[in-house]
Amino acid sequence: MSNINGKVYALNVITPMKPWKTWILRVVFFALDHIKSMQSDLINLSFIEFARWVIVPRTAFPSLGQGQLKEDLKYDYLLFFSNFNGTWNQYIDAFSAVLSRGLNLIWRWSEKFPGSVPVTLFKEYIARVQFDTDYYYTAYPHATANDLKSAHIVQSSFDGFSAVAAQATPQQFADAYLRFVLQVQAHLGETGEPPVVG
Amino acid sequence: MANTNGNVYGLTILSPIIDDANATPSHDLQIRAYLAKLSTREDSPFAMAPGTHLARLVVMDDVIYVGMPSCEEHLKSKYLVFESNCDGDFNSYLTGLADSIASHLDAIWSHCVGYPAQGAADRQGFIAYMKACQLETTFYFAAVNDRSVPATLRALQTQAAVADFIAAHQGADPETVQRDFLDFAAQLSSLPPPPPGAMGRYRAIKTGGHNE
Amino acid sequence: MSKLNATDIQGFVLRGYNLPVARYLFLRLEDAQRERTLVSRLLNQITTGQRWDGGKPQSTLNIGFTFSGLQQLELPLATLITFPVEFQQGMRHRAELLGDTGVNSPDHWDAVWREDHVHVWLGINGQSVEALDACQAAVLATLDEAGGATLVGTQDAAAQVVDGKPTTSEHFGFTDGFGNPEYLGVERSSQPGQGKLLDDGKTWAPLATGELLLGYADEAGELPVAPVPHLLAANGTFMVYRKLHQNLATFRTWLDRQSALYGGGKEKLAAKLIGRWRDGTPIELSPDWPDPAIAQDPNRSTNFTYGADADGTRCPMGAHLRRVHPRDAFGFNGRLINRRRITRRGLPYGPFVGEDQPVADTDDRGVIFMGLNASISRQFEFVQQQWIQYGNDSHLGNDKDVLMGNHGGHGRFVIPGGTSPANPPFVCSHLPDFVELRGGDYFFLPSITALGMIALALVDPR
Repeated sequence: MSNINGKVYALNVITPMKPWKTWILRVVFFALDHIKSMQSDLINLSFIEFARWVIVPRTAFPSLGQGQLKEDLKYDYLLFFSNFNGTWNQYIDAFSAVLSRGLNLIWRWSEKFPGSVPVTLFKEYIARVQFDTDYYYTAYPHATANDLKSAHIVQSSFDGFSAVAAQATPQQFADAYLRFVLQVQAHLGETGEPPVVG
Repeated sequence: MANTNGNVYGLTILSPIIDDANATPSHDLQIRAYLAKLSTREDSPFAMAPGTHLARLVVMDDVIYVGMPSCEEHLKSKYLVFESNCDGDFNSYLTGLADSIASHLDAIWSHCVGYPAQGAADRQGFIAYMKACQLETTFYFAAVNDRSVPATLRALQTQAAVADFIAAHQGADPETVQRDFLDFAAQLSSLPPPPPGAMGRYRAIKTGGHNE
Repeated sequence: MSKLNATDIQGFVLRGYNLPVARYLFLRLEDAQRERTLVSRLLNQITTGQRWDGGKPQSTLNIGFTFSGLQQLELPLATLITFPVEFQQGMRHRAELLGDTGVNSPDHWDAVWREDHVHVWLGINGQSVEALDACQAAVLATLDEAGGATLVGTQDAAAQVVDGKPTTSEHFGFTDGFGNPEYLGVERSSQPGQGKLLDDGKTWAPLATGELLLGYADEAGELPVAPVPHLLAANGTFMVYRKLHQNLATFRTWLDRQSALYGGGKEKLAAKLIGRWRDGTPIELSPDWPDPAIAQDPNRSTNFTYGADADGTRCPMGAHLRRVHPRDAFGFNGRLINRRRITRRGLPYGPFVGEDQPVADTDDRGVIFMGLNASISRQFEFVQQQWIQYGNDSHLGNDKDVLMGNHGGHGRFVIPGGTSPANPPFVCSHLPDFVELRGGDYFFLPSITALGMIALALVDPR
């Protein structure tokens, strides 16, 4: 069991919701999907590679027959899966510090949600409703979301520069090379092992 | 459709685990034991199959009771959660898995209710089974949504090599930089992308210059 | 925010004394009963945060305890286990997490720090070495009388004195001591750029008191995690003590060699490493030359942001100053960094040598770093691990702080530039270790009330 692989952490969270509130949450998500500014906060946080929320209505747990008992539940459930860089504490701290309004909109429909501020109660809640990952794979354990974005910038600059490098005279090359270096200079950080987890 | 974000597909599968009082150890524990021993690096099943950016497998024992005044309730089944962020669509991704790592899929999902008797070899049955276990993602976020796994690995390789090249050629005269760069670019483009799942920088190329 | 009770808070916590010399005494405790007597006798010698209306004293005295020290003093177990885990473990056991490995690993520390020898830190700051001697003599006399403890080590430190005036210069030649945060309720002349950025992205305000002191609201709008009972914690704080050796010969040689390749020249290269010219002028405000008018103007010397310099062509993303206090560099008007601020005390140790004088890395020379914070793990350890020994938040991958990083001959420092030959892009690789850790630990600096409770064995967990 490990929630961590290289530079990413796999967070799993499940919270119960009264079914009538689920519909409000669906509207919130519909809006979120269509409101760019709330999404941009997630992008600007810059340490989430992928994240998803999945509403599981109480009747919608997969039911395959063959002797499997049908679920009999009072609550709908909200599942949250995140793939983030950095430490658990850093992640929840950041969520609480800059996304509290958005998070409250998403989780306030869940039972006993204390609000995302102040952060200690929020952390206690997340810790309570978190369940652990048995197996976690990433194709690039040595890279964070920031590293990936840097790599893509370097790749496209490199492709553009390579296309003209061969035909250039040494002086033209020198000018183009400087422009290439200026394009990529802020994206040259090394990738590799993450810091040790405390 | 929230199962996709750009070109990335977000797969969410919940497979009920067989509840058999005669199984020792129980099926959920057998899944956990199998997963605990599975490599998470280059020889991970997901590294051998195409298209997985990040994926997790989780045995979900139950829902979680958050305390009074909410009600305590329990699931009747345990579920195996498979969350994957991948290239392609539902059919192409799962077909890729079935083509490459059928034995692992069978070893894991044979503990789940309704998994085809012939396992992943029964391609249609396998896809239909996964479809029956799939949940629709309500909201899906991806930091980068337009790059495939091979393109991403290649970009990481390029980034590391370019950084080394620039460092090694600082202050060199333009003729040398140009000559070395053309060599370097040719080498880099002929390299296969590095293996998925590998930790650490994959160094398959010398960047020349005065530091090597 | 009510007024702080300065008579209950140790002076060292509330203000930098600005006294030119210091001596730190390290005690090992041996007998709980007699140790408590010792604490009670030292109690009336401890300097509080009260204003010095009659001028600065000849010397000051302050006290802190390691977790082993508190165990020696026989605090109840129910209280001991409420201290934060990192404090219970001590700095030596946090080495891997902090990146204190290789030459910085505890195996290479001074002998006094290699085991749990140090239970008490006594900090003496003074006007003169004679004043330190006198204070130390008084402390040692008390120690002799009370017994229960032995002196296991001392460390002297002193500001560089130029023209009879103590300076804030350190051995590499940089002017230090600009960055300490302001806190609500802590009396100090206010300076823009030292607190937190407000939502307008321009105005600065003091940080919440609870980022420094236990028992007050912090930037998350709650009381910091603290040991119980509250009276033991309130008005106290935690201190990180680190003896940082500086390899001055390596630094000077490296700077000469690299600047021969760098179009911007030696002083600009030095400035890019730290984010300030050696006189203290922020390169963000004056990228081409040092400007004493800025460096010496409290309204300007810390009053800047990085929002207009996202690509780091003025101040590199990897510059020390920008790493440890990123201001608005991570967006959200600085809200991601307000709970990662640290108050630094401390002074250089070892002889100062002019640029033209010979130096060796083996010379005993460096800086005593003493960082005060309400949470060692959230503040100091986070900054050390994520921002000094790692670079992801600064979009620098695994790159470490060029000056403070534990490079071991690897590592990279990129100076982003432009098309001007005076500010070219420049990459430094294969970095040497400029600074090495020689030891230290985590200390709890209690309030005067809490010291009294400890002395009288009146700590009651609930």
